[in-house]
Amino acid sequence: MTETVPAVEICHLVKDFKTSFKRLPLRAVDDVSIRIMPGEVYGLIGPNGSGKSTTMKALLGLVAPTAGQCSIFGKDSLQVDSRDEVGFLPENPYFYKHLSGEETLGFYGKLCGIRGAKLKSRVEELLELVDLTDARNRRIGGYSKGMLQRIGLAQALIQEPRLVILDEPTAGVDPLGSRQIRDLIFKLKERGITVFLCSHLLEQVQEVCDHVGIIFRGKMVKEGKLDDLIAIEDQTELVLKDASPELIAEIEALIKRTGGVELVRKGRPRTTLERLFLHETRKQEETH
Amino acid sequence: MNIISNIQRIPAHFGRIGVIAHHAFTQLVRMKVFYFLAFFAVILIASNFFNLPQHEGPDATGTHVLTLIKSWSLGAMTLFSVVLSIVATALLLPKDVEDRTLYTILAKPVPRIDYLAGKLLGVLLLVFVSLLIMDLLMTGILQLRTNMVLEQQVAAAVERGWPAGDVAALRTEILNQGPTLSLQGAVLAVFLRATVIASMAMLISTFSSSTLFTTIISFLIYFIGHFQADAREIYLSQGVGTSDGWLAHAISLVVALVLPDFQLFNVIDEVIQGHVMPLLILCKLSLIGLFYFIFYLFASWFIFAEKEF
Repeated sequence: MTETVPAVEICHLVKDFKTSFKRLPLRAVDDVSIRIMPGEVYGLIGPNGSGKSTTMKALLGLVAPTAGQCSIFGKDSLQVDSRDEVGFLPENPYFYKHLSGEETLGFYGKLCGIRGAKLKSRVEELLELVDLTDARNRRIGGYSKGMLQRIGLAQALIQEPRLVILDEPTAGVDPLGSRQIRDLIFKLKERGITVFLCSHLLEQVQEVCDHVGIIFRGKMVKEGKLDDLIAIEDQTELVLKDASPELIAEIEALIKRTGGVELVRKGRPRTTLERLFLHETRKQEETH
Repeated sequence: MNIISNIQRIPAHFGRIGVIAHHAFTQLVRMKVFYFLAFFAVILIASNFFNLPQHEGPDATGTHVLTLIKSWSLGAMTLFSVVLSIVATALLLPKDVEDRTLYTILAKPVPRIDYLAGKLLGVLLLVFVSLLIMDLLMTGILQLRTNMVLEQQVAAAVERGWPAGDVAALRTEILNQGPTLSLQGAVLAVFLRATVIASMAMLISTFSSSTLFTTIISFLIYFIGHFQADAREIYLSQGVGTSDGWLAHAISLVVALVLPDFQLFNVIDEVIQGHVMPLLILCKLSLIGLFYFIFYLFASWFIFAEKEF
């Protein structure tokens, strides 16, 4: 049976911040509404300072809305129990440097009321999931940026939440680390976990999200299913493999013969620089 | 229904507070704060070598070396507990905000009061353990020293042909300067004073913007607390007989409520002189400590609950 209660519901959210020198308060979020159903991966995109993080903080009760309402699985965000089923990874997180990776997960697990054998097995499972089993006893202070993001993701998942909120999950991470985080998001999606992420790296959002919202200067300017938003309605793409020049010439001739059709572009599809980088580094890794 | 679910959540509150307190304690221990205990040991040993009994004249009782050990030890305990309470409390909260670790904690089902109580109890646990170790060191050395002084002085008194009654009185006098229950009460009073100071520093750190500000203001209030009772008395005596006498009383009451009167803890000096600390005084100090702990904790919560990150 499909769940009808939205995982996230933000209704006409407005957030003003007091400013010291100006008389008018700064409006960081202006009448934003978002609805995310369970199992969806929703990406909120926008430039720096557009109100993405503030929207997420309002959803987590870290800031109080000036107007509007936020709820998680039907529970008001300002209530502590709304956080029972949420995992959050803030932008550029720093964890307690004096704790090891394993201790960090143990600490967050205990905060969620998990104890004993259950906590131990959950920590094991998550360390394996984020590929940090080898670094489990190392102090967080010695972790790289990518490792920090991954341990951050693991702590967000400690109590098996049904919703995961990720604020710029790949900010400052190298392509390999970025790929690992993206793979983890795909794994969450497969498990039916709702993901709400924000980023200004559009290509990544396009790759993992099925719903997208574009926020600019605090206002939601466009929202909907990713496929619907990015499809060019009056164009069709045809990608052929091992096509002979004769066949291509024949297709072009057919297009010319047919009235009202225009060949917009012809050429070889290109891989992305990121895919090329990953391919080459993997190849090097295999040879060594 | 709501009340029942709140009651059911009480063990969970204690569990979370315990986890945060244990973590704050570990964090401070790993910051190597216990290194100061070595410094304390040096102070204790130094106090022990001043005015050795054999350097004294034949009529001296030798008990003032015991007073000196107590005085130096309790002085060092006061200094360390006050500094630790203020600095550790002032450090923990802003550090979590700055490092954004607070986001990850408050994004879990952790009520803000649990977070504050956990942090405060973590600091108090550290102060308690530090005082316990210092107390054990002081008691051990004081016991050894008392035995030595007792042996020497009793032998000297017998040699001089003192009557048995006088020797017994001398013995009691020396033992009163040694490790007594009152001395343990004085150490507890040092801890209770640290509790009040740490709770006050917690309140300041909820609205302060930096560790430095919290530290300076906390020390200022600590010093003001030593003469606020006298200042209130002078203020009230000036207001007597005038129409605004009730206002003076009301203001004085608010000042007394918000700013702790640290003069009450001067009873520690009496113990150093070998006097007995009445149980009633200790109970009174415990109640004061508990009152300010709860009062400042809830005042901190009142501010922290509205704080945005």
